[in-house]
Amino acid sequence: MNRKDQFTQVIKENKGLIFKVAALYTNTIQDRNDLYQEIVYQLWKSFGSFNQQSKLSTWLYRVALNTAIYHLKQSKRRVDTIPLDLEADRFSEEHDRTEEERIQLLYAQIQQLNLLERGIILLYLEGKSYEEIAAIIGITASNVGTRISRIKEKLRTQITKKQAVWN
Amino acid sequence: MELEEMQNAWNSLSQRAEKQDVLSNKLLAKVTQHRYHSKLNKIRYAEFAGTLVCYAGAAYVSVHLTQIEATYLQVMARLSVALLLGLPILSLASVRAMQRVPLSSATHLETINHFVRQKMMFQKLQKLNVCFGLLLMLLCLPVLAAIQGKDLTQVPDFWTGIFPLFVLVVLAFAYWVLKSYNKALNAMENTLSDMNN
Repeated sequence: MNRKDQFTQVIKENKGLIFKVAALYTNTIQDRNDLYQEIVYQLWKSFGSFNQQSKLSTWLYRVALNTAIYHLKQSKRRVDTIPLDLEADRFSEEHDRTEEERIQLLYAQIQQLNLLERGIILLYLEGKSYEEIAAIIGITASNVGTRISRIKEKLRTQITKKQAVWN
Repeated sequence: MELEEMQNAWNSLSQRAEKQDVLSNKLLAKVTQHRYHSKLNKIRYAEFAGTLVCYAGAAYVSVHLTQIEATYLQVMARLSVALLLGLPILSLASVRAMQRVPLSSATHLETINHFVRQKMMFQKLQKLNVCFGLLLMLLCLPVLAAIQGKDLTQVPDFWTGIFPLFVLVVLAFAYWVLKSYNKALNAMENTLSDMNN
């Protein structure tokens, strides 16, 4: 299998991951698609220099998250974003309303976290180990644990407040 | 929503993400055949276009310098040329300050720190740019009038009314712009300290 085919296979197998990162750092569908393409491009650029020393997923997340940071200056040139439109209309036929609201709520609350917290919680929700999160983010595994507890608490408070407003 | 629910919501999102059709073979072909142009350089093109406009302005004033007779207008014209030549350098320095760290080898924390610091540097340079830009506007007005052969001293109340009023408006605008920049800078400093704690 040549390099192009290998890359194509890697991207196809991880398209969901790239989509989630792109969606979490943008607030319009156009921006999200632009970021998606940019991430694929940056992955291709560094695919040649990717050495097998780190895990494939570590490399993928690192490039995707780092590209998303630099995309911020292109889209709205701001660090904070507003809740994203998750193309609710496209999914409404397939998923029930409660689930839709739950995803929207979680997404909106994650977008209110600072950039570092956003990256950490994304990796945590993706089921990554503390060690792998530490390798991608660049902090110690114990620090990951501390930060995750803080972020969970923050999210819980934010979501409770939001739900109180709704009720 | 409890943490277990958050995880469930995320898993549900993951299933949806897998079904998304953002990726196409066309995109992959474009990327692997080097036909894709990174959008991260957009800002650079705008700055280069601005540089060309400034240099054209500097050339215009320089060419017409001999038409300006009054010494104070000559001084203003030379200052305008200096600013028109210097401002783009400041702008390009701002853009350079936003250059990226290697996206695949830097950790996420390094990237965020670098991004926020560079953005702060960019904002500071832009603040300088705004101040000099406004000064340029003030200087250009009498200089351009002189080149067009118009004597502003003949305009009633120009130096006693119109010009001071123009200066006041420019200062008010500068104050508002700089205040916005300072607000943004403070927010970024807070983000930085928040992240590193």
